[in-house]
Formats: sequence, C-alpha cells, structure tokens
Amino acid sequence: MSLNLKVHGLSIEYDSAAILDGINFELQGGEMVALLGPNGAGKSTLLRCISKALEPTKGTVFFNGREAGSLTAGELARQLAVVPQDTGVDFDFTVEEVIRMGRFPYYKGSRKNKINHEAIVHTAMEITGILPLRHRSAATLSGGERQRMVFARALCQEPELLLLDEPTANLDIGYQWELLDIVQRLNREKGVTVIAAIHDLNLATLFFRQFILLADGKVLAFGSADEVLTEENILASYGVQASIFRHPLHGRLQVSVGKDSMSPLQKKGRGREKRVHVIGGGQEALPVLEALWEKGYSLSLGPVSREDSGYNFAHFSDIPVIENPPFSSISDETYQEHLKLMHESKWIVLPPISFGEGNLRNLEAMADAIAQGIPGIVFGDKVEERDFTGGKAVGILERFKEQGVLFVNNTEEVLDCLKNNE
Amino acid sequence: MPLKGSGKKKIARIRRGTLFLSLILLLLATVFAAIVLGAASIPLKSALAVLLSPFTGLNGLFKGVEVTEVQRGIILQLRLPRVIQAAIVGASLSLAGAVYQGLFRNPMADPYVLGVSSGAALGAVAAMLTGGTLLFAGFTAVPLFAFIGGTSTIALVYYMSRVGKFVPVMTLLLSGIAVSAFLSAIVSLLTYFAGENLHQVVFWMMGGVSGANWSRVVAMLPYALIGFCCIYYYARELNVLLLGEETARHLGVNTERVKIIILAAASLLVAAAVSTSGIIGFVGLVVPHLIRIAVGPDHRVLLPASALLGAILLIAADTLARNIIAPAELPVGIITSMVGAPMFIYLLKKRKKLRYFNTGG
Repeated sequence: MSLNLKVHGLSIEYDSAAILDGINFELQGGEMVALLGPNGAGKSTLLRCISKALEPTKGTVFFNGREAGSLTAGELARQLAVVPQDTGVDFDFTVEEVIRMGRFPYYKGSRKNKINHEAIVHTAMEITGILPLRHRSAATLSGGERQRMVFARALCQEPELLLLDEPTANLDIGYQWELLDIVQRLNREKGVTVIAAIHDLNLATLFFRQFILLADGKVLAFGSADEVLTEENILASYGVQASIFRHPLHGRLQVSVGKDSMSPLQKKGRGREKRVHVIGGGQEALPVLEALWEKGYSLSLGPVSREDSGYNFAHFSDIPVIENPPFSSISDETYQEHLKLMHESKWIVLPPISFGEGNLRNLEAMADAIAQGIPGIVFGDKVEERDFTGGKAVGILERFKEQGVLFVNNTEEVLDCLKNNE
Repeated sequence: MPLKGSGKKKIARIRRGTLFLSLILLLLATVFAAIVLGAASIPLKSALAVLLSPFTGLNGLFKGVEVTEVQRGIILQLRLPRVIQAAIVGASLSLAGAVYQGLFRNPMADPYVLGVSSGAALGAVAAMLTGGTLLFAGFTAVPLFAFIGGTSTIALVYYMSRVGKFVPVMTLLLSGIAVSAFLSAIVSLLTYFAGENLHQVVFWMMGGVSGANWSRVVAMLPYALIGFCCIYYYARELNVLLLGEETARHLGVNTERVKIIILAAASLLVAAAVSTSGIIGFVGLVVPHLIRIAVGPDHRVLLPASALLGAILLIAADTLARNIIAPAELPVGIITSMVGAPMFIYLLKKRKKLRYFNTGG
C-alpha cells in the first residue's frame, strides 16, 4: 500500500510569474512528509500539481515510476486521496452520502469483487469520529466537522498516497491532534505515503519526520527536522527571526518566532530606573519574570545555570543575567557580580525558589543589598517547605521581615507592591 | 426534522417509493383528464374504451359504451399525441434543468442559460422565414434547424470558455449568458423583418404543443430516450460533481468527458423540445427544485422524478391552455410562466434557501 512519488523539474506559471520553479524531490513509499513554507510559497499549488488538479507548465510527476499523465482519473483516485484546504459545501447531501462518494472509484466491477463498501464507509466514519453526525446535512456542519467529513471521505478511497492541504486549519487542538494521530497510524500501519501542507511548525515536528520547506516556489530544504528547521532557513523562508529549541517535555524541535520583532519593541522605555532584579531561576521564577516583563519593567536575573529555564528567558529577552556553572555553589566572583547587578536595580524580588547550601549565598547577597537600602519583595509562602538548609534560610527571611522587606504570596501582589511604591 | 438512528435510511427509502408511486398515479390521472377535457367534451367511459381497446381482454367492460368515429379521431389523432408530446417536452425540459443546475451548481441554471434555447430559437426562426415547409430526412426544416442551432451554440459556448485543458463552470455560465443575449438579439432582429411570417414566428416563440401529431411524437421520442439514458447513466457522476469539479476529479470522475456527454445529451433534449414546442419557460427551473425539496439532491432519484413531474405539469398546463378560453387556445408558455414564476418566488420565500443550494452565507 505504499507509493513511491517522484516530482521532477516541476514548474508552473501564472501570467508568466513562476509559482513553482523547478521542484525536484523523491519520496520512498511509506514516508510522512510535512510541507512547510510561508503563505504564497506554492504549497497548495504543489499539492494540486501532484493530484493533477493543475497542469504544470514543465516537469513530470511519477507514481511508482509511472507518469501521472498516463493514469486515468479512476486509477489515480484509487491511489491518491486529497483533503483540500477549502471544504465549503453548498448542497444538501447527508454527511454519510458525501463520505460514501469516496467509494466512487471502486464501484465499477465491484459486484464481482464483492467489496463491502458499507463496512469501509462505516469504519472511516468511526475512525474520524463523524459517525454520530452521519445523518446530518453536510451543509449544516461546522468548519471542523466538515474537515473531518472530508477526511473520512479520503479514507474511503483507501489511498496509497494521501495529500493534505492544511488539514488542521479549522480544527481545535483536540481534533488537530486526533486527525494527525490517525494520519500517523495510517502511515505506520498501512504504509500510506503522506504529504501534508502545514502551518503550525511545532505541530509538524510532533508528527512528522521528514520536511520539505518551500520558499518562492523552490525547495529551500528537504530532510529531517534538524536539517530543515534552522534559524537561517526560517529567516530565509518566513522572513522572521526564530529561536529553535528542543521542547522540555518531548524533546522535539520547537520553533518560536518573534525574537527580533518583539523584544526591541518591548525594550523601549525599559530604563534602569524601572529595573527589577529577580533572584534565581527555574519554573518558580518564570511566572514573575514574565509578568514583570509584560508590565514593562526592565529586568536582570541570576545567578542561574545554563540549563535553567530562567537562563533561556534571559537569553531570549536579552536581559542581563549572571551565569553560574551547573551543580556548583556560588563563587566569590559570582557573588560580587550578583551584588553589582542588585545595586543597579530599583527592587529585588525573591521568587518562591527552594533554598539549599548551594544558593544560600544569594540570600546573603540580598541581605547585603537590603542593608544598603535597596527595597526587596519576598514570596513568603511555605518557606519552611522550601528550606533545605536546616533553618538557615528561614532565619535570614525572618531578619528580612524585621528590616521591613515586603512579603507577598503571589505575582499579583508583587505587581501591586511595585505599582504602589513607584 | 432530523431523525436519529438507523431508521432514517429506511424512512428515506419509503419516502422515495411514495414519491414515485404518487407521481405515476398523478401522471395517469393527468393524462385521462387531459384527454377527457376540451372543446369537444368526451365522456370518461368513451375515453377509457378507446384507450384500452388494444387490451382485448378488457373489452367486456365497455360493452355498452358507444364511441363515435369523431370521438375516436379526437382522442387518438388529436388529444393523445398532444398529451404525449407535452409529456415528452415537459420531461425533457425538467431533466435538462436538473442537469444544468447540478452540473453548474447553480440554482438559477435552466435550459435557457448557456444559450441552448436561444440557438434553437434562432435556427427555428431562420427556418420559418426561409419557407419553413421543407422536408428533410423526416423532419420539417423547423425542428432540424432548431436542433442544429441549439447544439452548435452549446459547442460554441463550450469551446469559448475553454481555459487550457479545463472548462471552468463559471466561465461556461458567463459565456452562455453572453451568447444567449447575442442570439436573442438576432432573433428579435429577424422577427422585426418577419413580414407575413410574423404571426407564425411570434406564436411559436410563445411556446405550445398545439400542432402535435404522431409523426412529431415519433420524431422526438428517440432523442428524448437517448438523452435520458445518457444522463441517467451518469447520475452517480453528477452527484460527485456536486462536490465541485476538482473534488470530483480527485474522486475519479473524468470530469471533462462526463461534462461533454451530459451537456450534449441535455442540449439534445432542449433542442428537441424547443424545436417542436417553442419557448416554454419555468418548467426546467421549478420542477427540479420541487423534487429536491421532497427527496434531496441524489440524481439517481432526482432525474426520473423530475422527468415525471415535468411531464405532469406540462400536460396539466396544456390542458388548462386549451380550456380556459375554449374553443380558442392560449400558448402554454404563458401558463407555465404565470404559474411557475410566482411558485418559484413562493418557494424562495418559504424555504429561505433552496435545499441543496445553501446559498446563504
């Protein structure tokens, strides 16, 4: 059931403007490829050329070595199914009737072959979760339901090659995941070759192993996620700065855009007079960092190790950060740097981090700064549970309280404190 | 009224069965009414005796019924061929309307877009003005010229709309409207210079089956049958084409070939109808919509049901045309337009959207 697809020198022009310009690639049967690229890069056009909906100006498409042009409409429809982008329906067929039309290419001679069309239709409806809606009029479906109906129809064709044009565009995240999961199962269990044009790069890396990146009608990159999803390629095709990193939970590549276009804009008016220093990093510090950044404060951070999520935040937002080597205590040098950074700030915030022997010196540095008149804000919630120093940290915080340091329980209170004391 | 569960399919089947049964009964009733009613009144018993006389087994039923030769002549030589011609014309126009609406996915499509009827009209008028009584291979010149005019117009429109390898539906419709307007203008121009033939031309253009006779019926029937069979053969393809041409191609329909065959078949039906009966409006537009409202857009049901209902409506309209101002007659085209147009507006208002064409945004 898998199909070898070869696209050779494919070009198409509209009014002498090249939409596709010499596309070449070959897919072995059973691959699952995400077709990426900005709007107007030619993704849909490429898919439509492969499905013979458009006639290329130059070049050829081969299915299992056979030229696509030599296949009849019926032969093609038994090998290839398309889930198009625009699935507008303006007639009053029931959902089931529309889905059953996916069996059309198999009707001729099917009495002899004894194909159980109804069972195939039923399974397709079941898989796509459209079964409860099968008697509804197709015209009354929502965008997402229509998408699933069209997908079910494509399944009825029992294709060897499945072309999907923005299959998840109209779907909520639940159905996006479900649909791509079905596609992946088809690919793995039945060896169906899949090409899907997709906008959501991060969704693409979750389900696809192969990528084609189009830009200006040409193949800019073709290969694995690491080969295709680079900062240079994203800039060259989509025209935006992006940060590429591995997702902390599943380890797939993630593309986060907006580094260049967002931070300079937001850096405006973030002078030192509004600088807030946040001690330590990790998941505990991120909410308060994000909230302060959003409210327009300029920030500094530290000390954190390179693996820390706070470090990534500082790196992405381009704010001063003190780096401490991983798994090591605070050195004298770091201590001094930290002190210097705190002196440059208007406020010091201590997020609800845990305290160990390793980072106790950060509290000492904070005490130092407070003694010199820099106001502090401390998350005072459940300090005992976070103290792994045998009460030393709690002791320091007790002293802070006597010195008039503000204690808060959540991020909103931090913002209130800062606002009231401006 | 959406019903849930598997009973829904059974209900749809029962609904279709009921539709066909009632259409056939209605057709029989209309045929008898059309034969009985008229300037010369004929008792129902006499009509039945004449019509059922070929079935010798039933002769015993009509022992006491007296049928004069005049009555027999009226029934067999005037009314019966007229009823049959009305049925064929009504069925052909409705069938063509259903096909055009489906193929072009346009609720307003009917045999008169695409210029088919204008082309046929031009051919017919040209024939009338140049003599009109010529006989040519079993045809009088009028139907033959109408047929040539109609089919060559659709061919012209089709090739005019060609973009590369494909013929997009929108271009086809627009070219049809333009060509239709152009040909209608020529028809008007010819009518202007019609001179002594003016009456014939104008009366023909108003539409009607008044000149019906057996030789016309026999000449038309093969075209109607060929047209219907060709179209019905592609009923499933027509269903798939409703999803859009690109989707239909993806589902394995050879759209270009199917379109040519179906268009040619429908144009054959229209040309045959127009050449014998002139311009009869609204049958082709309204009938398919009525059927869709009853049983949905599936062409396997829609096509035969539209043909039946079209036949019924045109027989009824013609009977009305013969009887309103008897012994004089009205052109049937006036009746169909006067009844059809308000009916269509009523449907539009009542349904808001016509079933299968969800044109609302």
